[in-house]
Amino acid sequence: MAPSLLHPPSQLSPGEALQLSQQAPTVLQNSPSTISSSPLAALLPSSETPDLWIKYENLLLSCLRTGDERAAHQCLERLVARFGNDNERVMALKGLVQEADAQNNGELEKILKEYDQILGDNNTNIPITKRRIALLRSMDRLPEAASSLVQLLGFSPTDAEAWSELADIYLVQGMYQQAIYAMEEVLVLAPNAWNVHARLGEMQYMAATAPGVASGTYEKSMAEAIKRFSRSIELCDDYLRGYYGLKLVTKKLLKDAGKPAKESEGEFSLPDSKTVERLNELATAKLSEIIRRSTAQERGWRGYDKLEVAAARELLVEEASAAAAIER
Amino acid sequence: MAQVPAQTIHRDPQLFGWILLPITLVMILTGILRHYASVLLQTAPKRLDQKTMREQRSLLHGINVRGNFHVLSRPSFIARREALTAAYESGAYLKDPERRGQPPANPMSDPSSMEGMMGMMKNQMAMIIPNTLIMSWINAFFSGYVIMKLPFPLTIKFKSMLQAGVATRDMDPRWMSSISWYFLCIFGLQSVFNFILGDNNAASQMAQQMGQMGPQTGQMFGPGVDPDKQFLGEVENLAVIEHYSVLDGVEQRLLEGINV
Amino acid sequence: MTWISKTITALGGLLLAHACYSAQEHSSLQSFRATAATLASSTPAAASLPIDIAIETVVATFIIVLGLVTGTRPLRPIQWRVWAGKLEREGVEGFMGNDGEMNRDYVGNPFRSLETRPGFIDIRKQRKEFANWVKSGGRSEAK
Repeated sequence: MAPSLLHPPSQLSPGEALQLSQQAPTVLQNSPSTISSSPLAALLPSSETPDLWIKYENLLLSCLRTGDERAAHQCLERLVARFGNDNERVMALKGLVQEADAQNNGELEKILKEYDQILGDNNTNIPITKRRIALLRSMDRLPEAASSLVQLLGFSPTDAEAWSELADIYLVQGMYQQAIYAMEEVLVLAPNAWNVHARLGEMQYMAATAPGVASGTYEKSMAEAIKRFSRSIELCDDYLRGYYGLKLVTKKLLKDAGKPAKESEGEFSLPDSKTVERLNELATAKLSEIIRRSTAQERGWRGYDKLEVAAARELLVEEASAAAAIER
Repeated sequence: MAQVPAQTIHRDPQLFGWILLPITLVMILTGILRHYASVLLQTAPKRLDQKTMREQRSLLHGINVRGNFHVLSRPSFIARREALTAAYESGAYLKDPERRGQPPANPMSDPSSMEGMMGMMKNQMAMIIPNTLIMSWINAFFSGYVIMKLPFPLTIKFKSMLQAGVATRDMDPRWMSSISWYFLCIFGLQSVFNFILGDNNAASQMAQQMGQMGPQTGQMFGPGVDPDKQFLGEVENLAVIEHYSVLDGVEQRLLEGINV
Repeated sequence: MTWISKTITALGGLLLAHACYSAQEHSSLQSFRATAATLASSTPAAASLPIDIAIETVVATFIIVLGLVTGTRPLRPIQWRVWAGKLEREGVEGFMGNDGEMNRDYVGNPFRSLETRPGFIDIRKQRKEFANWVKSGGRSEAK
C-alpha cells in the first residue's frame, strides 16, 4: 500500500518514496493548475482544502528525492502561484529545489549567499534559517552549522525540531554531553515523546561506551540510559526500540558486573544487580514475544519495522549462542 | 374540553414575496459583504523582530521548563534553573534592557499596540454598522404588523421574542412580526454562511463573541504588560519548584506494571 | 454493528412502535368515550394512560439503548501508553476503517518529526541515497 501523501515523507524508504513520486502525474492532473484567491472563486464549490497544499509539498519532496525534477518544479510553481514568493515556507521550498538542482560546490555557495541575503532582510525567517543550517551541514561545515543553530535557538528556544537537530550535530561530532543537553531540551518541550526518551537513552549508552570515559560518568550514564529506556516503555506498551535498548544496556551491565555502585547525592545510581537481571529477563521475554508475533504476521502486530525486528532477533540469537558457548 | 377556535387573520398573500424574502435575502447578502469587508480590512499579522521573538519565546521556554521539570534529572534541572534565573534576573532576554524598571509605555502612544486596537475596532465596526442600518431600515418600512404564522404551536413565553414591535396582548404567539424575523435571521443564518463561505468565515458572529471572551493568549504578551515583571515572576516560580524526576524508580514501576 | 445488536435494536424499535400505536388507540378510544359520555351527560372518565403502555415504552427505550451500545465500535484507548503501544504495534493498520480507507486523523507517531526533522531535510544526501538504491536494483524493495 502506498503511504499517504499527507504525511511528511522524510522517513520513508526509497521504494516508498518512488511509489509516492509516481503518483505525481495523477495528482497534478486531477487538481486544477491554478487556484485563484479571488473572492469570486471562493463562492464556487471548487473547494480548496489545506490538504491539497500539504500534498503538493510532500509530493515536491518525494519528487526531488527520486529525481523527477519536472514534477517537482510543477508543484513548486503551483505553491508559488497560490502563496506568493515571499511566503516563508515557500521560500524554503524554493531553496530546497535549488539545492537539489545544484551541480557543484560553487552553486551551493551561491545558494548560501542567497540565504544570507534573505536573512539579512528579515532575520526571523525561521524556515530559511533552517535551510541554511541544513545546507551548511550538507556541505560538511558542522561547526558553522552548530553555531548558527545555537544562534537560532538563542532567539527561539522553544523550537523542538531545532534542538533535536543540534543534538544530532553534536552527536555526530562526538560531543555527547552537549548532545544530551540538547536532547533534554526537546524533552522539556515534548515531555511525553517516547521516541525522544529512547533516543536519549541511546545517547547515554553511546556516551557511556565511548572510549576514554571516567568510571563515574560511565555509571551515571548507564543508570540514566536504563531509566530513559524504562520510561520510553512506560510511555508506550511493547515499544520495540525501548526494549532493545534496555536489553542492550542490561546485558552490558551484567557482563561487567561486580563493580559496586557508588551512591552520590542527587544523581541517578545504578539499580542493584538483581533489578538489572530482572529487567534483562523482562526485555528478553518481551523482545522474543514481539519477534514471534511480528514474524508470524499476527493481526495487530504488523506495524513494526522489519529491519528493527531483524536487529532484535540478531541480538537475542547472539546472546543465546554466547550463553551456549559458556555452558559448553 | 372545547377547543379554542384558532385565530385567523387575513393577510395579504404578497407579504411573503415583498417582505419575508427581501429581509432574508438582505440578511444573507450583508453577511457575505461583511465577510469580504473584514477580509479586506484585515491587516497581516505584524512580523515580530528578533528581539521581541526572543523575549516572548524565552519566557515560554521558562514556563516549559517549569511545567515539565520532571523529565529532567536533578543536576540538569538545577543547571537549567540557574541559567534561566541568572538570565531572567539580569534582563538578558529583554527587548530593550535600558528601559528596565521604567513604567510600561502608555499603550495608546505605542504604535504597535495601536494597530492591534485598530484591528479590533475595525472588526467591531464591520459588525455594528450593517446591523444598525438594517435594523433601522426594517423598523422604518416594515414595523407594526405581523407577516407570517408559524406552522407549529408555541407557548406564551415566545410572545416577546416573536412579536417584537406588535403590542397586542391576546394574539397567538404563532404570529410573527417582521423585526422578529430579522432577529431570527441574525441568529439562524450561521449555517447558511458556513455553507456559502466555508467554515470559520468572518461573518460568523459567534466566533467573534468567543474570541472576545477568551483572549488569554494575546493577553500574555499584550501591550502594557511589563516583560521584566513577567520574567521576575517566572524566576520565583522556578525557585519554588521541589524537584522530583519521573525517572525516579521507573525500573521498579516497570517491573511491577508489566506482566509478560 | 453486528447482527446481534441490530436484532436487539430492531426488537426495541418494534416494541416502541407498538407502545406508540397502543397509546394512540387508547387516546382515540378515550375521546370517543368522552363524546359518548357528554351525549349521555354523565361525568367523563379520567383519561390517563394505562400503566402497561408506559412500562412498554420504558422497556423499549432501554432495549434500543442496549442494542446501540452493544453495536458501538471498540472505544479508542485513552491511556497514553496503550494508545502509543497501539501506534507502534499496529502501524497504519490499526487505524484503517472497515472500508480500507485510512482514518483521516491518523498521524502516526506525532513525535516522529522530532527525529526526522523535515525542516532540516538534507535533500542532496537523500538524492544520492536514492540514486545508489536504484543502482543496486532496488533490492530493499521487499522491506
